[in-house]
Amino acid sequence: MKQDIAWCPGCGNFPIRAALEKVLKELPVPAKNIVLTSGIGQAAKMPHYLPYSYFNGLHGRSLPLAVGIKLARPDLTVIAVSGDGCHYGEGGNHFIHTIRRRLDITILVCDNKVYGLTKGQSSPTTDLGMKNALDPQGNLNTPFSPLVTALAAGAPFVARTFAGDAQHMEQVLRESILFRGPSVVDILQPCVSFNKVNTYAWYRERLYKLEEPPRDRQEAMRLAEIWGERIPIGVFWRDGQFVCREIRETFRRPVTEAAVAKLLDTKCIMMR
Amino acid sequence: MEFNVLIGGEAGQGMFSVELELSETLSRLGYPFFATKNYMSRIRGGHNYHMIRVADRPVHALSGKPWDLVIAMDSAETERRHRPSLAADGIFLGADRVGQIEAEARETFRDPTASSTILAGLILACIGAEPSASRPLAPDESAARALAKGGEFAARWGLAARRVITPRPGDRCKLDGNQAIALGALMGGCQFVAGYPMTPATSIMHYFASVASEIPVHFEQAEDEIAALNMALGASYAGLRSMVATSGGGFALMTEAVSLAGMTETPVVVIDAQRPGPATGLPTRTEQGDLNFVLHAGHGEFPRVIFAPGSIEEAISLTRRAFDVADRWQIPVFILTDQYLADSVQVMEGRVPTKMLRRDYPVFEAGYRRYAITDTGVSPLTYPGLSEARVEVDSDEHTEDGKITEDLDLRVRMVDKRLRKLEGLRKEAVMPSRAGDRRAPTVLVSWGSNRQIVEEAVEALRAEGIAVSSVHFGQVYPLTAPMARGLARKRLICIENNATGQFGQLLRRELGLKVAHRILKYSGECFTVAELVERVRKILG
Ligand SMILES: Cc1ncc(C[n+]2csc(CCOP(=O)(O)OP(=O)(O)O)c2C)c(N)n1
Ligand code: SF4
Repeated sequence: MKQDIAWCPGCGNFPIRAALEKVLKELPVPAKNIVLTSGIGQAAKMPHYLPYSYFNGLHGRSLPLAVGIKLARPDLTVIAVSGDGCHYGEGGNHFIHTIRRRLDITILVCDNKVYGLTKGQSSPTTDLGMKNALDPQGNLNTPFSPLVTALAAGAPFVARTFAGDAQHMEQVLRESILFRGPSVVDILQPCVSFNKVNTYAWYRERLYKLEEPPRDRQEAMRLAEIWGERIPIGVFWRDGQFVCREIRETFRRPVTEAAVAKLLDTKCIMMR
Repeated sequence: MEFNVLIGGEAGQGMFSVELELSETLSRLGYPFFATKNYMSRIRGGHNYHMIRVADRPVHALSGKPWDLVIAMDSAETERRHRPSLAADGIFLGADRVGQIEAEARETFRDPTASSTILAGLILACIGAEPSASRPLAPDESAARALAKGGEFAARWGLAARRVITPRPGDRCKLDGNQAIALGALMGGCQFVAGYPMTPATSIMHYFASVASEIPVHFEQAEDEIAALNMALGASYAGLRSMVATSGGGFALMTEAVSLAGMTETPVVVIDAQRPGPATGLPTRTEQGDLNFVLHAGHGEFPRVIFAPGSIEEAISLTRRAFDVADRWQIPVFILTDQYLADSVQVMEGRVPTKMLRRDYPVFEAGYRRYAITDTGVSPLTYPGLSEARVEVDSDEHTEDGKITEDLDLRVRMVDKRLRKLEGLRKEAVMPSRAGDRRAPTVLVSWGSNRQIVEEAVEALRAEGIAVSSVHFGQVYPLTAPMARGLARKRLICIENNATGQFGQLLRRELGLKVAHRILKYSGECFTVAELVERVRKILG
């Protein structure tokens, strides 16, 4: 694509974009049926750099948009992709409730553990004590745990992958999109401009791959809490029994005049 | 001839059931009537009352005359508050009498709720309604017996045929304001509503939720109003005509997404059923305090249309129209109603356009540009998945194909494109409706739900020989020069349910019209005809 990409050279969003492009192209659904939503931030620009329909909305609001689209058009494959500030901060409420809606929506989070676009402030996932312009003393808040929260909210598919591992990313992204239900993927994304701690090298030292998904949610929860010298990546939870909510087809099936007249149960309304 | 009834008591004592039973039977018997309620924000206790005006001609407001019948479901409060406004020959039915009816319901019908039906039967007997006429219309045998039992009580207490009112034959239906809005939305092709409950808008959502099993519409209860409007925009983007309904406090949360609709040119209809503010205000009372807010909601500059229906007919027709306007011009369209209109039940007179509106589903080639710059400002609109054409929509300033841009010349062209729609919107604006003597030097100006109160007041004033007319704005924005025709040299009296005369100010700003006098009410209650007549008389000396 001949497009000016607004990311810094070396940004973790580039490999995420490449993986997503590959996975979406190979998806067993027609390209025209894929719709991306995003919010605001560097990661939220992702849909602009992929050849699919998209609704790039407001900061934090990619998920209610995705919900509206999915409810209106169950035939579309809906993927919401945005940053950690967008999905977990401004959109934190929607994150919890979108998972609860039991719709087939894929939630992808480019988690650089900072606010990139606004120049490096703390995000919900920033480590305790990390310093930046708005937190000169160091971040005082407990980092938010996306995977634990997603599991607690009832997400039937929860995974973590790493922007520095293309193969792993492709595999996890593919699985999450093909999963029928709300799926959450936290993608560890180095931000070369503002996050000098959680770098490619920092992650490479610590990451290890889960061999296979845990058998129950308790086990998944336990693994999801691990963060430190060792950090697991992979599919943390995949509920094979999960049943999506049924959505009735409404698109191009307008309500008829007869149906309205029947609802009204009266003759007066039928005058023209 | 008319009969004015008030039924008062504590929340939960069944006044609403009496209103429902009575209004249902009245409308089936062909009586014109108007009913509205005054209630507190609580589920039990307090003091609520329902007001029903039955007449032999169409009525669409509270008369404000002394009550012909007051029914007290409680022991003291209704009597204390409302007995002083009982007519000299009025009937007061106190707690002892209501107690007898309740006993009858328990003993004969083995159903305490039957007392509502008995009371409805009693009121019907007061206006001389034939029990035999209502009998076949009752939903079941026991309801029919309860209605007849009400007639027996009326006869026993000497109330039967106290004021005989003759019904008017003809097909009519009764609706409250929110039902009318919901119906208008269905006729406008609306298939998606998202919302978060808030009085007095909630029953619009109820309506959609309850019909969703029978017809292809969807209601989604959102986690908050921010989500609600974003969901509606998502659904609209995907191809369904969509709507949200809320009150001022919820609308405050939606303003961010209103701006998003403006920038992305996504059609959507937003209902603000106003209640007194600021903040949570008086949750169950009425006011027209949100005009300025809705007028200015959302940051940045973009076109919008605001309708403010003044009757059940207008609630249907303007809501229906709102979907058409939103779709054709790809803008947010607002409907301003209020608790008074939302909760008032009346018989619908006159013709309503009922033809269902349909949208097109145009298909484009790859290379389709969502924001192509056009003379009208309207770009071709289609939906994802219909062809290889990609629908690329963006909240940032964007290029014609929906990509983020910082090209500042293009920014200017895009702003101009969006604002150009206003020219077309002005051309198809809904003209205000006028009533009374057009030559009269004084004009009563209203917008929204006050219309029919004002129109009846004008009739009453003219009957006294006072020359007045009225003009009602069903579209409050944009206001256009033709709307002001003939008004510049008149003495304008603007009637509003707010404290600062917001519409009067808008008339001045947009049309240069000067309002000579204002009649404002912001206690949380609606005007009555008698009260309005009195206040106009005072101004005219
Ligand atoms: C309502 C609102 N508040 C604040 C902003 C400013 N803002 C833009 S992006 C952003 C944070 C982005 O962080 P993140 O979602 O982590 O994305 P990143 O840029 O790091 O990829 C903020 C606060 C905004 N656009 N809208
Ligand atoms: S600021 Fe960080 S996240 Fe944003 S583009 Fe640059 S490297 Fe990537």
